[in-house]
Amino acid sequence: MNQETLLVGLAGVLAAAAPIIFAVVGETLSERAGVINLSMNGTILLTAMSGFAVAYTTDSIFLGFLAGMLIGALVALVVAFASITLKQSQVAIGFVLALTCRDLAYFLGNPFMGVSGPRLQAMPISGLNDIPVLGPLFFRQEMSTYISYLAIFLAWLWIYRTRPGLMLQGIGEKPAAAYIRGANVNLMRYVYTVIGGALIGLAGPTYSLGVRAGWMGTISGLDGIGWIALSITIFGGWNPARAAFGAYLFAFLQWLGLVLQPVLTQVPSQVLQVAPFPLMILTLLLVNIGNTEWVDRTLAAMPESARKFTAKVLRAMRASPPAALGVPFERD
Amino acid sequence: MRQRFETLIDALLPVIATLAALAVGALMLLALKVNPIEAYAALWDGAFGSTNALAETLVKATPLLLVALGICISFRGDVINIGGEGQMIIGAVLATWVGLTFTGLPGWLVITLAMVAGFTGGAVWGGVPGVLKAYFNVNEILSTVMMNAIAVQLMNFLLRGPMIDPSQAQLASKIPQTARLEDAFHLARLAPTRLHLGALIAVILAILVYILLWRTTLGFRIRAVGQSPFASRYAGIKVPRYMVLALLLSGAFAGLAGAVQVYGVNYRMITDGSASGFTGSAGFNGIVAALFGQLHPLWSIPASILFGALLVGANSMQRMVQVPSALITVLNGLVVVFVVSSEIWRRRRQRRRMAAAPEAESPSKPDQAQVRKEAKS
Repeated sequence: MNQETLLVGLAGVLAAAAPIIFAVVGETLSERAGVINLSMNGTILLTAMSGFAVAYTTDSIFLGFLAGMLIGALVALVVAFASITLKQSQVAIGFVLALTCRDLAYFLGNPFMGVSGPRLQAMPISGLNDIPVLGPLFFRQEMSTYISYLAIFLAWLWIYRTRPGLMLQGIGEKPAAAYIRGANVNLMRYVYTVIGGALIGLAGPTYSLGVRAGWMGTISGLDGIGWIALSITIFGGWNPARAAFGAYLFAFLQWLGLVLQPVLTQVPSQVLQVAPFPLMILTLLLVNIGNTEWVDRTLAAMPESARKFTAKVLRAMRASPPAALGVPFERD
Repeated sequence: MRQRFETLIDALLPVIATLAALAVGALMLLALKVNPIEAYAALWDGAFGSTNALAETLVKATPLLLVALGICISFRGDVINIGGEGQMIIGAVLATWVGLTFTGLPGWLVITLAMVAGFTGGAVWGGVPGVLKAYFNVNEILSTVMMNAIAVQLMNFLLRGPMIDPSQAQLASKIPQTARLEDAFHLARLAPTRLHLGALIAVILAILVYILLWRTTLGFRIRAVGQSPFASRYAGIKVPRYMVLALLLSGAFAGLAGAVQVYGVNYRMITDGSASGFTGSAGFNGIVAALFGQLHPLWSIPASILFGALLVGANSMQRMVQVPSALITVLNGLVVVFVVSSEIWRRRRQRRRMAAAPEAESPSKPDQAQVRKEAKS
């Protein structure tokens, strides 16, 4: 493999990660505020279908993306209403929505199956795209990929470097304290869940108008992406930058599977298709292992030098969820 | 008198919630310019209209009930099992393997072995996320979903390769399916319909799960861990062990559902590449049925029949009045949302009733609000 094809492949990885990044950043915002949006898998399918359908009928890619965002926000609003106002189980409502949206997508998408429609074109940024290596890698992408870079940066900036972001962390960790500090906890949860939903809604059109243009119904291969994005959110420890790293890693592994397939002909194709899933379980295990009690006990029994090193490694991998994740807030 | 009336309302709430959901569905049908009465009549007819329709409903309800029983156990233990699909597949694969391997044995023995194999397969597929959850703190919602994906690919691999029907292996089409099970191995039919013994097994198991959850120490501990892991630990219960057990049992019932599907309905495994191609999404719909049955094994029986009826009726509704059957998924979702929210409403009313109790009720009854206050101080 020469350098040229390698660069094209890696640039493809960045593009393929873009929709996952939208979903992961959206979910991170929502979960930071304390609301799990479990509907993600269905939302991505529904917005992929509707984004393509709208872009196809109106011949406007922009409207397609807008439709995706609106539908994503709407689904998130249902999650927010059920979990914040009605104080129901977020898991139950999110799960039901995940199934419903998926089936709606397959049913409503029937007329658009296999139709060829508009799709995003690569938009090289003049000036930057001529830089050797970095140019073809980062700056000859589609619009959606550039926006995904921006989404990571802005979300990170918002959560860790602004005052409202600090409040957002508080709402997810200790809503009672945030309330005393003057935050309208439930309103903010609504806002972040809906904004997060709109971002998740960008993921669908990014697939159907870009990475995997068109709508192919059940064989689009999009079913399951939402669940992967959920685990990447956890892998990312509710930090957009780390989550983005997870998304790139996942896209890279998928690409590696495709590249290796012709080389490793004796390995059944299912092995490479399925490889990301055990790998995701393994990463979840590594991220969480630092939170378990028996590991603490084992660490305490270790000799001094080995303990320091192991503890450092574990701490680097570890992530803890916002303390109030999934818990409804009541004022009294 | 008034109290009795309120208890009656509480008991009827799921029914009221279902009716409310159907009413919302009727509005959607009107929006689609379909006469809702006609549509619901077609639905009813398709689900209960004839002996065959009724049998079909019960056949659809059987895997739902089996999965729902497992869900009752795991959700009561506060572990969320979304891996029903994968557990069904693994259970079915193992059970099918038993039926295709031990061809010389008598039918009853093979069926028993196959059911045990299905149970075990599901238990392993549920147990792995259980261990990951209990000892490695890995979120079980995600790991069970991942295990689904792995199970699907495993099935695709096996049905295309090692387990493919020998007659298909020689053809060019190579339909990914196993050979058909011998007639002697099929689960007995209960009537001259497609209704099979599996339905009866499921109902008996529902009673057993009820006994397990409320009449045994194991069930008590699973529920205790679900209610409050901290208190359970304080009481000396080994919390991780019961988390694993809850998920393991939950998976086992789903695995059994897979085995029953193969031995009672399909008599072979065939894949279209997706999980729902084999399971008919029973692994997911079973969760919905269990939630509707308020996570109670016995209430899960009518709940499963209701959802079985909705699924069967939806098809005939689609045929008779050209209503998208996806509308039924929406209806399913609505029913669950309404039922769960009515539960919240019931609890809120109960709390209000308790607060109002001191003046309204006779003083001879222990005042619960008072007792609670005393317990706190």
